[in-house]
Amino acid sequence: MNALLTAWAALRVTGLNLFRAMNTEPLPWHGGRARPERFRTSFALVHNEDGDEACIGCKMCEKICPSQIITVVPGGRAPSPNTGKPRGTAKDFVLDMNACIHCELCVQVCPEDAILMLRVPETPGYTREDLVLTMDKLYKNEPLEKSWGTGARLVGMQEAGQPKPAPKPAPAAKAAPSEAAPPSPEAGS
Amino acid sequence: MAVAHHEGAAVAPVGPVPTVVRPWPDPYLDPETHEAEGDLMVMNLGPQHPSTHGVFRVKLWLDGEVCIKAVPYPGYLHRGVEKLCEKLSYVQIPPIVDKNDYVSPFINELAVCMAFEALNAVEPPRRSQYLRTLGAEMQRVASHLLWLGTFGMDMGGALGGGASVFMHCFRERETILDCYELWTGSRFHYNTLTVGGNRHDVPAGFAELVKRTYRAIRDRAHEYDAMLVDNAIFRARTVGVGRVDAQLAMELGVSGPILRASGVDWDLRRDQPYAAYGEVQLNVPVRSGGDCLARYEVRMAELLESIRIVLDLVDGIPEGPIAALKPVKLPGAFKGKAGQAYVAVESPRGELGTWVIADGSDKPYRCKIRPPSYHAMSLLPYLAPGSNLSDIIVTLGSLDPILGEVDR
Amino acid sequence: MIENPWVWGAVSGLVVVNVFMGVAAWSIWFERKFAGRMQNRPGPTQVGPFGLLQPVADLLKLLQKEDITPKNADAVLFNIAPPLGLLTVLGGMAVFPWGPGAWVPADLDVGILFTLSIASLMTIPVWMAGWASNNKYALIGGMRAAAQAVSFEVPLLLSALVPIILGGSFKLGDIVAAQADGAWFALWPPGPGAVAFLLFLLCSLAEANRIPFDIPEAESELVAGITTEYIGMKFGLFYLAEYMHTLIGSFLGAALFLGGWDGPGPDGVHWLVAKGLGLFALIFWIRWSLLRYRADQFMSVCWKILVPVALCTVSAAAVWKVYA
Repeated sequence: MNALLTAWAALRVTGLNLFRAMNTEPLPWHGGRARPERFRTSFALVHNEDGDEACIGCKMCEKICPSQIITVVPGGRAPSPNTGKPRGTAKDFVLDMNACIHCELCVQVCPEDAILMLRVPETPGYTREDLVLTMDKLYKNEPLEKSWGTGARLVGMQEAGQPKPAPKPAPAAKAAPSEAAPPSPEAGS
Repeated sequence: MAVAHHEGAAVAPVGPVPTVVRPWPDPYLDPETHEAEGDLMVMNLGPQHPSTHGVFRVKLWLDGEVCIKAVPYPGYLHRGVEKLCEKLSYVQIPPIVDKNDYVSPFINELAVCMAFEALNAVEPPRRSQYLRTLGAEMQRVASHLLWLGTFGMDMGGALGGGASVFMHCFRERETILDCYELWTGSRFHYNTLTVGGNRHDVPAGFAELVKRTYRAIRDRAHEYDAMLVDNAIFRARTVGVGRVDAQLAMELGVSGPILRASGVDWDLRRDQPYAAYGEVQLNVPVRSGGDCLARYEVRMAELLESIRIVLDLVDGIPEGPIAALKPVKLPGAFKGKAGQAYVAVESPRGELGTWVIADGSDKPYRCKIRPPSYHAMSLLPYLAPGSNLSDIIVTLGSLDPILGEVDR
Repeated sequence: MIENPWVWGAVSGLVVVNVFMGVAAWSIWFERKFAGRMQNRPGPTQVGPFGLLQPVADLLKLLQKEDITPKNADAVLFNIAPPLGLLTVLGGMAVFPWGPGAWVPADLDVGILFTLSIASLMTIPVWMAGWASNNKYALIGGMRAAAQAVSFEVPLLLSALVPIILGGSFKLGDIVAAQADGAWFALWPPGPGAVAFLLFLLCSLAEANRIPFDIPEAESELVAGITTEYIGMKFGLFYLAEYMHTLIGSFLGAALFLGGWDGPGPDGVHWLVAKGLGLFALIFWIRWSLLRYRADQFMSVCWKILVPVALCTVSAAAVWKVYA
C-alpha cells in the first residue's frame, strides 16, 4: 500500500513536469541562446588600430600554453606598412584546437591584445585538420563576435584594487609596453 | 592556512584505531574466496559499462548473481597529471588539474592553488577568499546534483524514472553552470583561480542570478525526495545495502560524505577551516547508518546546506583586490620557494589533498594529489562480496566515484 | 468470399498485423515525446513535423546496420530468437475482439487463455537470445527473464480469472459483451474488479519488461540484458516486440476490465482504441517515474503480495457471482 502511495508521489512529480517550460536551449540553427560576454570558445588574431597585424611574434602565448599547442614563427622586426614604425611581426602562427583546454592564459599574457577568444559557438569539423587553426583561419575569425577578455582587461581585472608599489596610472596601459619591450630582441633574432 | 594535516588542532572524534584484529577479512588474501574462484562465473564489469561512472573495471566472481569476490582495476583514465605537474610551471597547473575531478573543477583549482600559496606563504586577499568559498559551495551543489542524477540512474535505469531524476538534476545543474559562465566565461573548466588569488572578478548581475538559481533549486529539492527517498522502491534498494563500517572507512582513508554517513563527524571546512570558511556558519550533517540511504541523506542535507551558504555569502563579499600577486606573464617568472606543503580541502567527495615538494625552480619537484574518490573506491572489495549484482551497482553509485580523479 | 475462413484469416491478419506494427512504431515516437516533456525537453523534433518521421528514420538506420552474429554464439538460436519473439506477440492479436459482432479475426472459445499463453511464450525467445548470445550479461538477463516469468504469470492469470468468472466465459467477446452499458468490471462489482485491474496492470508491466519490473534488461546493471549482443534490425525486432507487448497488455486490460468497445454514445472500436491507448500512456507515465526493483525483491513482491491478493479477489469474485 505504501509502495502505491509513494509511487503516486513520484508520478505526481513527473506529471507536474509535463506542464513546465522546457529548459533545453534551442539548436544553434534555431538561434541558440544568448551567451555572457566572457564566454570563450575558439580563437582569432586581430589587427590593431593602425591596421597592422597586432601579433608581434613574441612567443609569450607559446610559452604559457599548458597544452603546448601554439607555434609562433617570428618574422623579425619590419617597418609597418601603415605607420612606417618598425615593429615585430609573426611569419606563422598555428593553434591546434585538438588539444586546447580553453584556459585563456594565452589571451591573458598577450602584450598586444593580438589573440582573442570568440563568443560564437564552435562548429564541429570533419577532420582533425579542421581543428588546426592556421594563421589564415585565425585572421578569418577576426570579424566574428569576440569574448570580453583581452590581455589588458584580464590583467587589469586582477590588478584592480591591488596596492600599487610604484606606478599609479592605468596599470594595463603601463604593463603593455614594458612587457612588449623584452621580447622584441628575441623576435628579431 | 598551510596546516599540514597532522599539525591540525582538530582531531576526528572517534575511538582508537584498531591495531591487532581486523574484524573483516582481507578481500585480496582470504583463502576461501581463492579456492572457490574456479567454480564461479568471472564477470568483468566495465571498463565499458553504463554504471561504472567512467572507465572503470571491476572483476567480479559471481555465484549466480551473488558476488563472492570483487577486484577493482582503476587506471583506464590515467592521464599522468602528477607527472604533468612536474613539467609545467606553477601558473600552468591550475587549468590542468581542472580535469581531475571533472565534476567539481573549481575545488580542484582551489586545492592546488592553496598548496602553492602555502608553499610560498602567499595570502590571497579577503575578497578572493570569499569568492573562493562562494565558488566552492556553488560547485558542491552542482556536484551533488550530478551525483543525485546518476545515482537515480543506477537504480532507475536509463529508460525509466532514474532518467527523469537525472534530467531534472541536470536541468538545475545547467543553471548553476550558467552562473559560472557569467563569472568566468566557461561552463566547466574555468581556470579562474591562480596562485595568490582569482583571475575573474564577479560581473554585474552575478548576485541576482545566483540567488534566483539557488532559490529555485532549493524550492525544488522536495521533488527529488519524492522521486527517490520517499519512494518505497528506493528504500527497498538502499536500506542496509553497502553498509560501511566507520572503522573500516577510516582505515582505508575514506573521507567526506561516506565517512559522515558512517557516523564520523569530520568535515575539513569546519574542523580545519580554509579560505573564508572560518567566518561562515556551517552545519555538518552526520548520519550513523553507513548504508546507501545514509549516504543519500548526508549528501542531500549537504546540498541544502551549501545552497544556504551560497545564499548567505553572495551578498556579503567584501570589497578589495581579487589577487595578491601581479598576473604572471611568463611561465618562468614565478619562482616557488624550496620546501614542501600539504593542503587539504573538502571536496564534494571528501578530503582532496595536494602535497607539493618544491626545489626553488619555477616548477614543482613533485606534486601528489590525494583524490578522495580513490579511497572511496577501495571500499568496493569490502562491500561487494555477499551482495547481489544489482546491489553492487547501487553501492558503487553511492560511493560517488569520479574516475578522472581516481586515475588522474 | 469473405466467408471463406482462409480468406478472412488472411485479410484480417494482414490488417491487424500492419496496423499494429504501425501503432507500435509510432508509439515509440509518442513515448519519446511524452518522456521528453516529463523531463522538460522537447523530444524528437528534427525529422518531419514534430519529429513525426522519427520512427521511419530509426527503421532506416537499423536496417542499414551491419548484421553481426558474435563469435562462438549459437548462430541458429541467436538469429531465430528476434523474429520468434515478434511472432509470439503477434499471435496474441488473433483472437482479440475489436468491436461487437464480427470484429474479431478468429473467435476462439478460449480466447483469453490463448492470448495470455501465447504472450507468455515470449519468455522462450528471450531465454534463447540470452543463452545463444555467448555473453554473460545476456545470460543473466535471460535467466532473470525466466525467473520473472515464473513469478508474474501466476498473479497475471489469477487477475485475468476475475473477469472470466464475472463474465462467465473464456471468450473475449463474451467478456466484453458482459460489461455492456457501463457495467465495467473495474467499476462493478466494487472491489474485486478494481483490485484485479490494478494487479493486471502491474503484471503487464512485468510482462512487457517495463519499470519497475524491467529486471531482465536492467540497463544500469546488465548493459542491455538479453539484447546486449544484438544490433540492427534484430535488435529492432526485440524492441518492437517489447512495445507491442505493452500495447497488447493495455488493450487486453481495456477489454477485460474497462468494457472494451462499450462507452457513451455509439459503441465501437474507437472506444477500445481510446481506452487501450490511455492505458498505454499510463504505463509510460509509470515507466518514466519509478525506480527498479531488485530481482529477488520483485519475486518476493509477486509471491508474497500479488499472489495472495489475486487469490482473494478471485474468491471475492466467485462469491459475488454465486450470491449476487
